[in-house]
Amino acid sequence: MAKKKNNSPDEIDIAMFEWVGGGPTDPKQIGVPFCGGCHPGGGGLEYDRDGKRYDQRLKADPALAQSLDGDYFKSKWDKTGVVEADCLLCHLPGYDFKERNKQLKMFNFKWASTAASGIGQVTGFVREDQHPTVQYNRRLFNEDGKIVLDLAYPPPSENCNFCHGISDAKKRGFSWNDRRNHDVHNARGMSCADCHPAIDNPALKITKIQHQFAKGDENVSSVRDDLDNTIMTCRDCHSQGYMGAPRPAHLGVRPNHLQKLACETCHIPTLHIAGGEGFDVTTGAMVNYPVFNLQDLKNSPKQIGAYFDWHPRYQRIKRGQLAPVNALLAVFFTNLDKDGIHYPLFGRENKKAYEKIKDKLQPKNPMKPELHTNEQIKLMLTALTETLQGNKRFQQIKPYYHKGGKHYHLNEKGEVVAEDDHTYAGHVEGFNINHNVAPAALALGANGCGDCHSSEAHMFKGQIVTDMFGPPDGKPLTISSGRLFGCQPWVFYLNQFHQLYLSPYANIIMLLVVFGLVLHYTGQGPKVADYYKSPPEIVWFPLSERWTHLFRMVSFLVLAFTGYIFFFNNITLLRLSFGTPQTAVVVHWVAGLIFIAASIASVALWGKYARFVPYDKEWLAKKGGYLGGKEVAVPAGRLNAGQKIFFWLTSILTLITGVTGVLLIFKESLPLTLSCLTSTIHGFFAVIFVASIIAHAYLGTIANPGTWQVLVHGKVSRNWAKKHHSEWYKEYATQEEQEKQ
Amino acid sequence: MERQNVPRLAALLLAGLGLLLLVSVAMARERACIPFHLKTEDGKIINPLTGENADQPYSPRQTCGACHNYDEITKGYHFQQGWDRISDDFGKKMNKPWVLSDGMLGKF
Repeated sequence: MAKKKNNSPDEIDIAMFEWVGGGPTDPKQIGVPFCGGCHPGGGGLEYDRDGKRYDQRLKADPALAQSLDGDYFKSKWDKTGVVEADCLLCHLPGYDFKERNKQLKMFNFKWASTAASGIGQVTGFVREDQHPTVQYNRRLFNEDGKIVLDLAYPPPSENCNFCHGISDAKKRGFSWNDRRNHDVHNARGMSCADCHPAIDNPALKITKIQHQFAKGDENVSSVRDDLDNTIMTCRDCHSQGYMGAPRPAHLGVRPNHLQKLACETCHIPTLHIAGGEGFDVTTGAMVNYPVFNLQDLKNSPKQIGAYFDWHPRYQRIKRGQLAPVNALLAVFFTNLDKDGIHYPLFGRENKKAYEKIKDKLQPKNPMKPELHTNEQIKLMLTALTETLQGNKRFQQIKPYYHKGGKHYHLNEKGEVVAEDDHTYAGHVEGFNINHNVAPAALALGANGCGDCHSSEAHMFKGQIVTDMFGPPDGKPLTISSGRLFGCQPWVFYLNQFHQLYLSPYANIIMLLVVFGLVLHYTGQGPKVADYYKSPPEIVWFPLSERWTHLFRMVSFLVLAFTGYIFFFNNITLLRLSFGTPQTAVVVHWVAGLIFIAASIASVALWGKYARFVPYDKEWLAKKGGYLGGKEVAVPAGRLNAGQKIFFWLTSILTLITGVTGVLLIFKESLPLTLSCLTSTIHGFFAVIFVASIIAHAYLGTIANPGTWQVLVHGKVSRNWAKKHHSEWYKEYATQEEQEKQ
Repeated sequence: MERQNVPRLAALLLAGLGLLLLVSVAMARERACIPFHLKTEDGKIINPLTGENADQPYSPRQTCGACHNYDEITKGYHFQQGWDRISDDFGKKMNKPWVLSDGMLGKF
């Protein structure tokens, strides 16, 4: 868009008149909107920047058309008239949008609405120096001369699609009333205006009559950002049941996923028409590239809007959540001027240079040169350096080529220099994808965690194009989807270990442990010098220790139970036991903190008894008398060597799972990498912990009958003490004897 | 047909027609606009049946604006598309002097 005041024709890109009536006029293209086609009229299509009607002002001062005034440069407003706000463009079902574009491109500005609405037939074009005339459709008029039109209020979605269907297909693979690229809201009869009504909000000082339509949360800094988030959100409708919206419980979804992910992330897993991968303006024209078929590049969609299944990229949006987007990769040229600003080059400036080198380049398709080698880039930059000489909008000629996160320019020797592009041109942001919502059964997670966390799932492993024409062969460069939102490859593989091996095989590990214990019991049997042969009279386990053990045991059971639910995402058990995931999470946290406290107490109580002493070697050499098929005497203190190993093992496991567990309480604040790492470590060692406890429980119960009663009253029989803790019993007996004397 | 059945049949037919009328009235959608005169940009009535100004295109401002507040309606973003904020200096602060507004009219 040209400025109002210009000092040279070089400064004028698209003046207002061309903005309205420009664009190709060949029969194939004439119905396709240029800039003005998607403007309903009124505002800048009716009044200039001084608030005067174009047609009246130009009639009064015809010299303006020869001036450098951006509103009148090379204009014919006096003949074309102005484009008043065309109410029928939105409110008349069956409005002929192509006819409107044709009328505008043929400079029949003030006739456009009459022709496109079908009220009348317009003959003659201002572009062809004719004066158009109108023949009205008399069947639409009553006898009194009044017209009868079946206008729609609110406007039908089809009319919104005239413009939004084209632009949003490119930006985000959007389509409406499209059975293949479906949308659940559309399928239930909702229209654009149901979600995007006219805003009526005194706080914003906007009344309904002003026709400001509720707007969503566009991620890319786009138009009228002050109107962002005036639409009702997914949560607004689906928590209040607005228009009968179902209220999802999301019980199968981890709470942090509901916080970290936008609704669209799971509910728009796939788009079914090709959006834009990017655009290239090298030739001077805007050449759009539909999304690539990376599995088979030759079979990529031929045009935007063609049926093609693709998955979005994911980006952290303003509100901090991960959301699906489509980033249009821009391939374009700028000139670095003396003021340090990269000015985008106009289409005609690119075209002039490209025409000069087209024959040397010899691209496969002259419309798609796809510059990617240094030789090609050098040719174009050199041509631009030459053709921009004398251009009065620049004080310095230094063209840059921007592509794939890099910019290229020529150094003093005329060589191509490639650098990371830290200018606005290298900043890639995606257009939010909010429409074409899939039914819940097709949402990510409907088939379990593997929808995202499996080895081939798009969420992490999908390939996203970062450079449409990458070196050396011009094929697209890609990066894994997970990398884009901060998941390092090694973290992904760690996560894979969790999903592919740890989760599926944890149950098998437990079963193997239990099976091993069964083998032991059936092969070795319980220790015969059992607890019951004489009355328990020696205190082996005082009250403080029994309580510590009790807290540790109970909290561990709770941790193991809730952990099992999280580990396997067992929703049935979760609903049955806790109702909501949040409750289960809080219970796990509380039990974890109690377990840590009890474990610290246990180290204070038993640490001194768990020091290894020389006779522990004998206990270990004889395997504690638990293997070999016959009982042997083994020396042991208050804790035997096996118990000491178990004690230190569980202390270390407590330290690991405790530290990682506390970190996971603050998971939301952790970087993704640390969060994944912590989660995997926590899960892995928790499995080992549970396996150890199963073995411990076996030894404390059926392998040594009666031992469990120590947990109740703390006493053991002399026989049991002699058998299991001979060295401690000797000390006890000696002390007892001394006390008697 | 026996003569005594004729009144019964007529009553049945009448009831059927009444029901049809009721349904059609119930199904009738309220029109957004009542019939109205088209007007030229000078505000003159266009009447194709009499030929009055019938070679002129209709003017939305004069036609729709006769009942609706055209000036208020066209304050909306879809009509202004940045024109109400356009300025040659709009983009200077953001180091993008070519940006003239935050709408399609001037953003690019």
